[in-house]
Amino acid sequence: MHPFSCFLRRPLRRVFLLLPAILTLLVGAGCNRPAAPEAPGIEDERGRPVALPDTLARIVALGPSVTEVLCAAGAAELLVGVSTVDDYPPAVVEALPRFNLLPIDYEAILRLRPDMAFASDQIIKSEDAEKLERLGVPVYFLTSQSPEEVFASMARVGALLGRGPEAAAAADSLRGRLEALRRLTAEQAARPSVLVLIGDEALYAFGRESYVHALIADAGGVSATGGIATERPVLSEEFVLEARPDVIVGAFGKDYDPARLLRSHPAFRATPAVRNGRVYSMEASVLLRPGPRLVEAAWHIGRLLHPDAVGGAPAARP
Amino acid sequence: MKALWSLAALCALAATLACAVAFGSEPIPAGEIAGALGRRLGASGGAGDGVAEAIIWDLRLPRALLAFIVGSGLALSGVAMQALVRNPLAEPYILGMSSGASAGVSLFYLGFLPPLLSRSLSIPLAAFVGGLASIALVMAVARPFGYLSVTRLLLAGVAVSSLMSAVTSFVTIATPEAEKVRTVLFWMLGSLGDAEWSGLALPAAVVGGLGAALWMGWRTLDALLLGEEPAQMLGAPVEALKRALIAGTALVVGVLVAASGAIGFVGLIVPHAARAVLGVSHRRVAPASAFAGGLFLVWADLLARTVLPHVELPVGIITSVCGAPVFLYLLRTRSYRFGSG
Repeated sequence: MHPFSCFLRRPLRRVFLLLPAILTLLVGAGCNRPAAPEAPGIEDERGRPVALPDTLARIVALGPSVTEVLCAAGAAELLVGVSTVDDYPPAVVEALPRFNLLPIDYEAILRLRPDMAFASDQIIKSEDAEKLERLGVPVYFLTSQSPEEVFASMARVGALLGRGPEAAAAADSLRGRLEALRRLTAEQAARPSVLVLIGDEALYAFGRESYVHALIADAGGVSATGGIATERPVLSEEFVLEARPDVIVGAFGKDYDPARLLRSHPAFRATPAVRNGRVYSMEASVLLRPGPRLVEAAWHIGRLLHPDAVGGAPAARP
Repeated sequence: MKALWSLAALCALAATLACAVAFGSEPIPAGEIAGALGRRLGASGGAGDGVAEAIIWDLRLPRALLAFIVGSGLALSGVAMQALVRNPLAEPYILGMSSGASAGVSLFYLGFLPPLLSRSLSIPLAAFVGGLASIALVMAVARPFGYLSVTRLLLAGVAVSSLMSAVTSFVTIATPEAEKVRTVLFWMLGSLGDAEWSGLALPAAVVGGLGAALWMGWRTLDALLLGEEPAQMLGAPVEALKRALIAGTALVVGVLVAASGAIGFVGLIVPHAARAVLGVSHRRVAPASAFAGGLFLVWADLLARTVLPHVELPVGIITSVCGAPVFLYLLRTRSYRFGSG
């Protein structure tokens, strides 16, 4: 006779009857957590309520554009971690611990013990933010539908992090540089049609809600994709031909050979941009991240569109 | 002998859950893990590190439990489908039920379907309806002349699966909001990353229900293996049973897809392994598959979380890599039948 046979006469049955019971106990234990105390709240830029922690000394940035905004607001020394795709400003991000964002590595973020996370609404899902909040990290969303919204974000998070005057001054300086560019290009009679591309094979572009159209307007052009309702449309070649862009600006990197775009899309030979040799590429992170460097992007595009008017002018650096 | 088996099963379960809780993207010392668990269960006091506790208790443990529930449920769905069509190649993923459920979820999520109930119930409901519609179509195609052809079944599964993936892709691309697209991608790839305590009750309930039903009805299911007419002669309510199997499987797959996306091949390899060890009787195959399926998915998810540093793979990649070769092997070597039957 087996020594345990008194307990295990019908052993399989007992094991499988026990499993749901154990599970129910565990689920019950997990749900009976004490509710978080009501903290004084603010609203983030998506209009979500955010519980303010007692101290705001350790923050993480969920998205490279958010890192850049926080650093420009003077809050670089509060950062305790950034995502694996962050690369700017190098002096700040190279020294920081990294975590993955797609999908979010909650464990790695919790390990950094942040008081608050600042999130890009372009990258982070609301559901993921809610989960992070249930884990004890409040999430503040930054929106970025225009350069002005980015500057306002910068001043707002600066004030939240105790760097109000510094951040407001930085935002004003960026506004001033963009205003200077606007004045230079306002006098230009020609407003070339500009197609901004994110991808060169699949023709990803910016839809209606993007900051890019205001940027192109400040640089003295008219964006070709400002009327598309989809957030990240993939354009057809026909759309590009119909749009007849005078200039194509790709976020394909500084060393990109414009001939590659033609190899992928030979039909583009018919566009004015290709016929006149006005296909350009610039550093992706400057154009694709709604942060302080948008001003650089605007000046860069301004020089491409109106080399005579903008080309010689200093970029009015602070 | 049975006693040894159950002891081994309990040890395997304990070891599996321990590993799932011990390993993750962040290394946590064993002492901290034990402390965090002890504090939550009220066993030992003492001030502890809130971070380790949150990682263990709110991230890893619910995730491991969800993996177990989903793995059990998928394996049981496989058992049910295989009994229904009397063939070991049947599985919710292969027969298009999972992609139908995904399509239902994406249609609901992107606003093409009205929310009838609360959100946490509407998504499983949409997945259930999508899965049920898919499997009904596959079954209708597979048995046009009253008997079921395996070739037709598998081909219909492929076609319906593609059709439903096309529906999902269409609504994904048609939607203007990039954020929602990422959410739908999650359902297409399958992942346990959204596991939370509050999301465990419904999957546990439906999976437990299917497991209990299959186990208690093992005699009827075994009779069905002989064929529909012999089963009917033995007194089994064949038509009602078939409808119940389809509806029950669609419900479970719908709830599981809503919780974790479409994860493939668990329902294929786990019952196959169980039958190889224990024979074809559902009295043993159903509980053993539920248990082994749970363990398998916990390990697959652990692998998905840790195989690449700082990158989490969708767990569906792991299960497909394990399962597709088994499927091909079965196609090549077996005579498409259970045991000698």
